Amino acid sequence: MATISLKKAGKQYGNLEIIRELDLDLADGEFVVIVGPSGCGKSTLLRMIAGLEETTSGQIFIDGRDVTAASPVERKLAMVFQSYALYPHMTVRRNMGFGLKLAKLPADRIKAKVEAAAETLKLTHLLERYPKELSGGQRQRVAIGRAIVREPVGFLFDEPLSNLDAALRVDMRLEIAKLHRTLGATMIYVTHDQVEAMTLADRIVVMKDGRIMQQGSPQALYQTPANLFVAQFIGSPKMNLLPCRRSADGLDLSGEGSIRLPLSGPAAPAHLGARPEHLSLVSPDSGDCRGTIEVSEYLGGNTSVFVRAGKLGLINVSAPADTPYRIGETVGIRIDAASSSLFDDAGAAIAANR
Amino acid sequence: MTKAQQRPLIQEFRLLATPVVLFLLVFLGFPAIVNLIYSVSDVSFETLRQPELSGLKNFAAVWSDSAFWQASWFSFRFGLLTAVLECTLGLFLAIFLSPLIERRSWLMAILMLPLMVAPALVGLMYRLVLHEFVGPVPYYLWTYFGASLSFLGPGSAFWTLVVVETLQWTPFALLLFYMAYQAIPSEIAEASAMDGAKSHHRLWYIELPLMLPTIVVALLIRFIDGFRVFDNVYVLTGSGPGGSTASLSIYIYEAFFKQGAIGKAVAASVILFVVSFAVLYGLNFIASRRKGAIR
Amino acid sequence: MITALRWLAFATAAFAMNFPILVTLSTSLKSTRELSTNPGLWVQAPTLDNYLAVFQVTDRLNIFLYLFNSLSVALIGTVLAVALALPAAYAIARGRLGERTLLPFIVNLRAVPLIIFAIPLYMMFQWLALLDTRLGLGLILTIVNLPLALVILVNAIHDLPAELDEAALMDGASRTQILFRVIAPVCRPAIVTSLIFGFITAWNEFLFGLMLTTSKAVPITVGASFFFAASGGGVQWGMASAVMIVGALPPVLLGLIMYRQISGSMTAGAVKG
Ligand SMILES: Nc1ncnc2c1ncn2[C@@H]1O[C@H](COP(=O)(O)OP(=O)(O)OP(=O)(O)O)[C@@H](O)[C@H]1O
Ligand SMILES: [Mg+2]
Repeated sequence: MATISLKKAGKQYGNLEIIRELDLDLADGEFVVIVGPSGCGKSTLLRMIAGLEETTSGQIFIDGRDVTAASPVERKLAMVFQSYALYPHMTVRRNMGFGLKLAKLPADRIKAKVEAAAETLKLTHLLERYPKELSGGQRQRVAIGRAIVREPVGFLFDEPLSNLDAALRVDMRLEIAKLHRTLGATMIYVTHDQVEAMTLADRIVVMKDGRIMQQGSPQALYQTPANLFVAQFIGSPKMNLLPCRRSADGLDLSGEGSIRLPLSGPAAPAHLGARPEHLSLVSPDSGDCRGTIEVSEYLGGNTSVFVRAGKLGLINVSAPADTPYRIGETVGIRIDAASSSLFDDAGAAIAANR
Repeated sequence: MTKAQQRPLIQEFRLLATPVVLFLLVFLGFPAIVNLIYSVSDVSFETLRQPELSGLKNFAAVWSDSAFWQASWFSFRFGLLTAVLECTLGLFLAIFLSPLIERRSWLMAILMLPLMVAPALVGLMYRLVLHEFVGPVPYYLWTYFGASLSFLGPGSAFWTLVVVETLQWTPFALLLFYMAYQAIPSEIAEASAMDGAKSHHRLWYIELPLMLPTIVVALLIRFIDGFRVFDNVYVLTGSGPGGSTASLSIYIYEAFFKQGAIGKAVAASVILFVVSFAVLYGLNFIASRRKGAIR
Repeated sequence: MITALRWLAFATAAFAMNFPILVTLSTSLKSTRELSTNPGLWVQAPTLDNYLAVFQVTDRLNIFLYLFNSLSVALIGTVLAVALALPAAYAIARGRLGERTLLPFIVNLRAVPLIIFAIPLYMMFQWLALLDTRLGLGLILTIVNLPLALVILVNAIHDLPAELDEAALMDGASRTQILFRVIAPVCRPAIVTSLIFGFITAWNEFLFGLMLTTSKAVPITVGASFFFAASGGGVQWGMASAVMIVGALPPVLLGLIMYRQISGSMTAGAVKG
């Protein structure tokens, strides 16, 4: 198993900078999930680590060894692709054994290793089939199997589950988590799925325009986002952003309400970030601000209520499933200030608010 | 440093492309150089290894040779006429027959049959077809119409050749157009039907414009193949009567093999070489510009 | 009504375009006596005598040799073309090597009157003692077949997801290994198509056969014309017809069996090229 680290690694296509001086360190056995909007360079970063994409500046180390110029095999990493990329003309057995065969392992060793991996992934009965005779989930399993037989020091996953249906996705997610526990290998995992990110990651890395916006445990990112971008990106439904200004004893919510909050230092908050579950509906005269219910979406476990609150815009409140408030009603909103975040004009988080 | 990783990859690709490049250098590069040298030399079969530079004499000889201009004119006219005829006929058949072919694809196999036969053999076959004693065409014309035509005579040889070429290669145009026609998404036809378009409107305003790129390509390919025609013309008429059906290819062939005029044949080759590549690269350039504009 | 018209159009077109083949077929089945009395399409007393005569080897005419020559040169010209085109196509499609130089140059070759290279090739073959050899003609047919093979293969490789290569790279394959163990097997339909296409083109080639061979390596397209310059009393039309049918048969059969594959690649070569 291995540590992976990037030192000011960069990628340029001509004049286009896709990855900018990026530093990232993975501990041995760590599970890091990379998220970010489409086109921010997640795949590029993963492929640079894999050695499939040239690193145009900076360095990449695996176990302390500089591999910036090394070929993909020399890096001893395995990659699982979104489209599986199974060899269509080979059976599952040969698909999984191809890398070992290229490494000139004796046939009996290949057989043993492939069968062991197939056992782990419950693929034994499919070994003689061709990829086109498999379901999506089975193909994904084979792709993972192909990765593990070579006993790589680390795994790279590029949206491995995004071609699967929702139920299968949950199963495979659990399986990957289990795999990580049993193999203890270092893993980097790119995904668009919030739940995958939150549940699998030891650490989440949020990227934007080829830069890391914040990295940390799922809890840290969720509870104390470092900036507006991360605050908006992590969490579903999205965090509400209420424009605000500092007042004598706390915050003035654009004249629509106010919150008492002791602020220290010269902080100049411009936005109050509050997640829907940190807001509650109360009677019109008792909340921190108020508005009219515009939409109410019953979701089973809870109800997502959208309140139009003047200059504060549309606020999403997570209310109990049996909330008594109806569309068109005027309601008050109570804000759990202790759980909220504050951001300044530039979008950086203000740490001093709790 | 950073290039170090990419270099072996590129080098391996280079290695993979090397055989074909070497092959082309030997079998086309070398001939091209020989062409250039001989075209400005005084050579005969006796002095092949010691060509003497003679400036542009050969080009002058070609330039002032009326047979060269006659052959150029034949090639151009032949290419243009057959291309237009084949594409018109092919387009009509592709659209008109598509309801039949859609359901029975073996019909297309029958129509494609002429494409599989060597043009040289087809040319020879027409020697039989048009033969005054054993050929069915003169026979039927005589029995039913009392007409006796000279198909390969001075006035008619050109047109006979045009018909021969057109009948063999119309299937090519037909096939291209049929594919293009089938590739038009049915939603477009349905949408226009919802808009109240009659079928001839649909043809004119929707289907033909969508097929236009294919039509242009087919015209081009057929023009080129008609322009450089050799096989069927050569076996059917040689170059006669009186050199009236010599294409440029035949002109070069005869200058070399029949007259032994190496210098003239080679100079004509060089002219054709330069003109062809200039035209082709020009077309490529225009095509890539158009593509860029559309994207 | 309109359907009847369509059938009429089809029948007319099919008849007109295949007319020389039908006439030749019918003539090849006529006896010498019938030939002189009945020039029509209908054969009164079909006979295979002409075919038997064609397969009689004389010191002047040897159809077996011509057929064997055509087969050999077509095989050389086809296999070699694909063998050269496949690695190049891979380098072009994946390494983006020569995408703007080599590829357009070779594709343009399809449209160039190849006679412009014929004279120096003739001289070169004279020096190399390749005149009138099957190898020599096969090498030239390789040039003829290269453009289409390359276009078909480049398109086929382009259509494969790049992740397939990348997965193999991660598995430790070199580019050459990827080409032969992943790309080539996956592209087999395209390879087969270019082989068939090349075979038909090479079998049907005439110009270079005419220029570069005289006796030992004469292909059937040229050999067939020998039957027209028959001895003494004019052309023996029955035999001449039979030889043309025999010479046309291999590519026609191949084309009919595989015409679906070929028809696809014709458009590939034409439209994408
Ligand atoms: N070969 C290339 N040449 C130029 N730009 C490229 C190339 N490949 C990718 N890019 C650009 O690099 C950027 C990052 O691409 P990348 O595939 O890494 O995004 P991503 O974060 O994985 O997106 P997604 O979530 O949609 O998969 C994109 O803006 C893309 O347009
Ligand atoms: Mg991606």
